[in-house]
Amino acid sequence: MVLKMKQSTCPVSESLQFIERTLAGNNLQTSRPRRIIEDIHLLLRDVASGRAGEEHLPSFDSLLDELRDFSETPAIANIVQTLSHSLSSSREIYISHVDTHNCATGDCEKLVPAPCQMACPAGIDIPSYVNLIAMGRDEEAIELIRRDNPFPWICGLICTRPCEMMCVRGRLDTPISIKFLKAFSAEKAFSDRKYRNPKKAPSSGRKVAVIGAGPAGLTAAYYLALKGYGVKVIESLPMAGGMTMVGIPRYRLPREVIDLEVAMLEELGVEFNFSTRFGKDMNMEILKSEGFQAFLFAIGAHGSYNLNIPGENNFLGDISAVEFLRKVAMGERKPPGKNVIVIGGGNVAIDAARTAIRLGAEKVTLAYRRTRNEMPADHEEVDQAEEEGVHLSFLTVPTEIIGEEGKVVALKCLRAKMVSRHGSDRLSPVPTENSDFLIQADTVITAIGQQIESDCLNSVETLQWSRRNTIKTKMITMETSVPGIFAAGDAVTGPATVVEAIGGGKRAASAIDRYFAGIPQPTLPPVPKRRARTEWLELPASSKMTLKRPEMPLLNLERRRITFQQVELGYSENTAREEARRCLRCDICLRCGTCVRVCRDQMGIDALQLGYFDFDRQDPTDFRATGERCILCGACAANCPSNAIQIVDRGNERMLSLCGTILNRQPIVSCDICGTIMGTARYLDYVNEKTNGISRANSDTGAKCNDCTRKETAHSMADNIALR
Amino acid sequence: MTQFRKGQHVEVYRSSKDENWEPYMMAYIGSHGIVTDPDTVINHTDSLIEVSLDGHGTHRLPQDCLRIIEN
Repeated sequence: MVLKMKQSTCPVSESLQFIERTLAGNNLQTSRPRRIIEDIHLLLRDVASGRAGEEHLPSFDSLLDELRDFSETPAIANIVQTLSHSLSSSREIYISHVDTHNCATGDCEKLVPAPCQMACPAGIDIPSYVNLIAMGRDEEAIELIRRDNPFPWICGLICTRPCEMMCVRGRLDTPISIKFLKAFSAEKAFSDRKYRNPKKAPSSGRKVAVIGAGPAGLTAAYYLALKGYGVKVIESLPMAGGMTMVGIPRYRLPREVIDLEVAMLEELGVEFNFSTRFGKDMNMEILKSEGFQAFLFAIGAHGSYNLNIPGENNFLGDISAVEFLRKVAMGERKPPGKNVIVIGGGNVAIDAARTAIRLGAEKVTLAYRRTRNEMPADHEEVDQAEEEGVHLSFLTVPTEIIGEEGKVVALKCLRAKMVSRHGSDRLSPVPTENSDFLIQADTVITAIGQQIESDCLNSVETLQWSRRNTIKTKMITMETSVPGIFAAGDAVTGPATVVEAIGGGKRAASAIDRYFAGIPQPTLPPVPKRRARTEWLELPASSKMTLKRPEMPLLNLERRRITFQQVELGYSENTAREEARRCLRCDICLRCGTCVRVCRDQMGIDALQLGYFDFDRQDPTDFRATGERCILCGACAANCPSNAIQIVDRGNERMLSLCGTILNRQPIVSCDICGTIMGTARYLDYVNEKTNGISRANSDTGAKCNDCTRKETAHSMADNIALR
Repeated sequence: MTQFRKGQHVEVYRSSKDENWEPYMMAYIGSHGIVTDPDTVINHTDSLIEVSLDGHGTHRLPQDCLRIIEN
């Protein structure tokens, strides 16, 4: 047997290994201490394998206290000291193992979170919900998602999906459509009227004020309300959603989606004060007088950067993308102009350009100072923008906004070339002298960055700010410099993603809860929680390999150019279920490589072509290849630390499967005489080869087990002797 | 300074001098990951960028602690 051995860095795993070495040694002679240590071993095994409950750690404490009575023996004193030190210095990690059933370091092999779950800023148990969708258990899927993310529908349409970038399936071919599956799950749940809130805790009598109804503020409000806190959300806009409502166009995120998901918060009793600006209509004194004892600032980043070029802000038709998109979100439907230039290369610039097309602009040009390769916007968005008629002008550096009679008439630009600067491998655009040119335009929309509008928080004098003009917080707990005041979202990170804001809001809610309870805050980032252990679905290796990630159907081009109808039409139910079956179940298979090494190095067979295990380097993978050489000996399954790879006998077949993917199946050979199962023909041939044909169990004359062969040989020899 | 783009493989090769670098991030030194959200607006060298680290989750980190790993 070859097991992967590595130096442990998890204190739970270290303690478990320490105890196991202690029990295996001969130092513990007296029965009572040995019994106590065996009990501790059981508790530690539970913690390390995700089976511990809330009584485990208190029991561990009690047992250590009991063991301390025997500390006059040096060996026992050492054990008590070692375990006490581990528990006291790393108690947070022990608690995390119990609460989350996950081990952040991956040392506790049964508890390693899947890479997708680890990558999700909200910590959603992705493999579980994907598998539930595959099984048609949609109600459970949506309930599971919302334990970590209250806005699955919003995220299912616009998330930047770091999970898909880390998806292990992506190392074989394409990542699982985790985002689209989330949207499918939410839509199905709403359609089936199964999108429900969990039960909330009884009222705690405490109140929290949330300033900002964007994704961070709303997420915190949701989890605080579930814990029984009275929550009021103050929002300067007339509706909830923050940038999701006023920054993301409706063709990407319909308003109904936001309204429906926000309504779930109202159902929990969250109170909203819209069109109320903190610092003007509301302040800390008023909120404190109303009984609010903790505060979360989630004001987002709704300000814009200026170009700082001549003519800026001087003429009608010169507008920031943030302001433009906000006006459209609030109902503005007039075309911004006939000839629109959008300056910028990011997602906001693309959104502004595509929105201008839909409002009826005859020509929309996106001016970007670098090349297409450097464009930070999502490539899919850029492709869709070009399909819709947006013209991209690269290496274009705006130098002046030209106006006549108070209106924009043109944008003066210089051509740029990309030059690498000394000491940097970053190419920078350098304007080319005498390359001036004019782009005719009646509207210039600038999309070169957003910033926090911090004036509303001037009255909170002790609040500290970073040099980037963001609210300074500890990223684990979202605590600011002022006790009782927390912050989350773009106001903390700068312009970032919706799912990051959701993750921050969730951490803030947890920290606010601890603040009220007077218990210490965590010092390490949260470990995502394993929400379910779902059985896998069986699929032949050929299907697992050949299933392809489906294309997202899109609205036809004409409608895209003239309406704000949702462009991405969503997966059908069949497509979603089939896509979900492509998942490799990395919540079960840890990709440790033990099976491959055992098969190749110990057994000399090398049947497993699983090259996707390593993050940094991938070799070819083909599940179908196993069937060519595998002898179904079971050595891989016997050594798998997480039972991901299994050998089972079903009927008269023996099957090898990896998280449900059937890698090989062969008929079982049974003894012709007594019926004992002997293995597969390939396995018997392998044994015969290794034993130089000493006993040929499976031959042309039939299959005989060792016992029957021995008996037959004995009878034959006895007969021979008798004949002589 | 290196220009980071979405999808690039990176390494946290040193600690950062930036005020956003917190003590717990020392555990990330040496780990590899993927840029999941660079500065998608202006691609500024001073921006924090989102990186998903293998085994360590997704974090917004200063750029001076990151370098591109050639595949």
